[in-house]
Amino acid sequence: MIAALGRWLTDRLGLDTFRELAEHKRVPVHRHSFWYYWGGMTLFLFGVQVVTGILLLLYYRASADEAYESVRFIMAQVSFGWLIRSIHSWSANLMIGAAMIHMFSAFLLKSYRAPREMTWLSGMALLGLVFAFGFSGYLLPWNQLAFFATKVGTDIAGALPVVGHFILVFLRGGENITGGTLTRFFGFHVAVLPAIVTVILGLHLYLVQRHGMSVPPSVEEAQAKPGAPPPRMMKFVPNFALRDAVGWLAALGVLALLAALFPWELGRKADPYAPAPAGIRPEWYFAWMFQTLRMLPSKILGLEGELVGILGITVAGLGWAAVPFLDDPKGRGQRARLWTWIGVVAIVYIIVFTWLTYRDVKP
Amino acid sequence: MSARPGRAASARLVLGAALVALAVTTGMPRGALARDTCYECHRAEKEERLVAPTRNILKDIHFEKGLTCASCHGGDPADSEATAMDPDKGFKEHIEHKSIARLCASCHANAAYMKHFNPRPYIFSIEEFETSVHFKKASLGDTKVATCTSCHGVHGILPHTDPASPVYAQNVPRTCAHCHNAEYMKGRSLPTNQYDLYVTSVHGKALLEKGDLSAPACNDCHGNHGAAPPGLNDISMVCGSCHGREGELFIKSRMKAGMDSLGKRGCVTCHSNHGIQHPSDAMLAVGGKGVCGTCHQPGAACDRATVRIVSGFVGLRDSLALADSLLKLAEDRGMETGLGRDSWKEAQDQQVGVRAGLHSFDSAQITGVLDEGLGLARHAADQARAALRDWRTRRIGMGLSLLAILFVIALVTLKIRQIEARQGPP
Amino acid sequence: MKRREFFDWLIGISGTVLGGFVLYPVARYLVPPPTPEAATRRVIAAKKDELQPGSFKTFPFGGQPGILIRTADGEYRAFTAVCTHLGCTVQYRGENKTIWCACHNGTYNLEGANVSGPPPRPLERFDVHVAGDLIMVEKAKGA
Repeated sequence: MIAALGRWLTDRLGLDTFRELAEHKRVPVHRHSFWYYWGGMTLFLFGVQVVTGILLLLYYRASADEAYESVRFIMAQVSFGWLIRSIHSWSANLMIGAAMIHMFSAFLLKSYRAPREMTWLSGMALLGLVFAFGFSGYLLPWNQLAFFATKVGTDIAGALPVVGHFILVFLRGGENITGGTLTRFFGFHVAVLPAIVTVILGLHLYLVQRHGMSVPPSVEEAQAKPGAPPPRMMKFVPNFALRDAVGWLAALGVLALLAALFPWELGRKADPYAPAPAGIRPEWYFAWMFQTLRMLPSKILGLEGELVGILGITVAGLGWAAVPFLDDPKGRGQRARLWTWIGVVAIVYIIVFTWLTYRDVKP
Repeated sequence: MSARPGRAASARLVLGAALVALAVTTGMPRGALARDTCYECHRAEKEERLVAPTRNILKDIHFEKGLTCASCHGGDPADSEATAMDPDKGFKEHIEHKSIARLCASCHANAAYMKHFNPRPYIFSIEEFETSVHFKKASLGDTKVATCTSCHGVHGILPHTDPASPVYAQNVPRTCAHCHNAEYMKGRSLPTNQYDLYVTSVHGKALLEKGDLSAPACNDCHGNHGAAPPGLNDISMVCGSCHGREGELFIKSRMKAGMDSLGKRGCVTCHSNHGIQHPSDAMLAVGGKGVCGTCHQPGAACDRATVRIVSGFVGLRDSLALADSLLKLAEDRGMETGLGRDSWKEAQDQQVGVRAGLHSFDSAQITGVLDEGLGLARHAADQARAALRDWRTRRIGMGLSLLAILFVIALVTLKIRQIEARQGPP
Repeated sequence: MKRREFFDWLIGISGTVLGGFVLYPVARYLVPPPTPEAATRRVIAAKKDELQPGSFKTFPFGGQPGILIRTADGEYRAFTAVCTHLGCTVQYRGENKTIWCACHNGTYNLEGANVSGPPPRPLERFDVHVAGDLIMVEKAKGA
């Protein structure tokens, strides 16, 4: 009976096209194949966010009067509310971690080379969107830490020249952080950003299917040598997909562990008139930027140190995103090695500066 | 001379203009002081004792209401010469210490006069003042003792609601201590440690450090103008005017009857008067830090009762502490304890009631309230334990889910191996 | 073949069980809890006829005690029970028709206004609604 239903749906929806695509899809097998899993892992964790996020939407209230209480309600009164909320908060962090691993591996393996420039650019856009998700979602429980972290973050945005103040007012829904900010962030978090991500993620996934999996330059070089064995490939269905499933199951296990052993805290309700609590720091994925700005001297060449820092980070980010057009198109030679080193330095810098924030800034 | 009749007129005109100019340029106030030549001359004096009265007089409430120097000192305010200070015109340079009260009372005790200034005036009662030690000693010629100007100031008197006034609630203790200290009171029999004790007390800290204006200062217990050690029927009527519950219970208690028969004063005997500290359960004992030993012998029936009550108090306190630590444990483990904390707060409120209830010194009553408190504390602890049980359930659930996940991962891995064995090398 | 069939069946079963482990919390989550919303703005304070006229009860409201009073003529009043002096819990004295704080003898009238003793401010007043069998207390409009 079920088989008949399956056949009917396949016919009406034209699912055969997809089945063939899936059956034909191949994944290269080589030394660096491990890194191929991280895109799918990010996608899986994003899926977890969507599901848990929608569930939270059923009970959460986005007003300054009720947000904190509604989160407490979810944690204390709703069956398994604590689980859904803790998974949502932990999975956000894991997803951003997976996204960064995915990006750095793509960078170091030079997956951005032609014809995959758009895939890289759409991926950088997705990373930015994911940071925006993290930043907007962080405010929603309306506790002291979130309130002041948002204040610091929007203050930094406001320091940009020319457009800074406009951006600050746009983000905050006014000059200060108020219930209006919360409503606005909520709108970004559950409607605007999901809509944009749907489009760009769709593009990103389409491009990955269209161009297939990129093979790193070192592997390509080895395969091009005369007398090299033919490149090994793995079927996507079922081999790679089952391996994906193992990874996703492991991620699920990690989330269950984290949610049960380290439930996400409620904090204290935000009080705009209380002095900022000591040791505010943003979430770990912004920490390295925060630490960079903290360590800069207050004046550099006559300009505000913080402003120089923000502009510097922005320029570095744009340079990073433009790498498909700046690196050697074949991914070999001196320029290519330079960019690999830049990638390594960036990773080390981020790790060290993230660690420094946690060492120095204690809430 | 009639040859130049306009000259005198123009001279007066010039003098008038000069005075107006002087008034405008020196910012002299209009009205009362403009007519009061006393102020005009004295403020220009070089000698300290002559110029001192003019320094704060502009802020004086009497001047604001239209009175002048002459209102108290007599003389002729319109006369700008020294003849203004003619004793025949009623001038009194220096008002004798023992006459000050009567002088102030001449207006302040006159209801009809005071009503010119305020529809609901405070009418000073000379009879009330006559009950005070200050009045009695002053009328015998003691000039060191307080009279109106000693506390209210002089030549710059402010209403008691003005924070700069020496009789503003927060300033009262310091004003009294101006005289009631060891140096000033040398040779007299009164104790002189009141201020030092007061500033360390609960009331002192509330008034002076926390700014709680409802906390008592010296005058709230001793009276303002009729200041005397409280000679009321019972000191518990003084303390009981704020500590109503304790006072109510104490007056009806056997303890009061016992103290009366021994000539001991209630409240003060256990809590002291000036250096009152926050009471502690340790006070409930015959030995050690206990206050009961002041009258009671160890081993007597009251001692045994004390032991029972104390153990009840300690039991409640421990019960609350246990509930609190359980709640904290649950909170540290990420469990929500809102309901438990509500119950715990109720139990704490009950504890306040228990401590007030002690003042009935009636075992049955005290035990009743104690038992209620214990019940509430236990309820809070139960809710904390339920939260901790939930936490354990979560861990078990997590453990089972992890096992399931690991099991499925193992199976999928085996499936991969199985498929690839069949497929051959890629 | 039999082993492979068994193996596939085993994967299917354990996958389903795992799916159950995932779906069970979600299903329970979707069922609303007994109190449908956080008790910050409104709460069930008492049942109808639970209070005799002239008596009162304290009830939890947003983490703080509240006081519900049924006056002699049967009307309900509700206030925060936190005394504005030093935070003790107040009670109702039916014989004087006043709200009284045992700690330092502060007194409020039935409008919540502080009429004698140390309290510096009135008690915050709440709205009371009788909804069928229940007496609901809600934060006042515009509060």
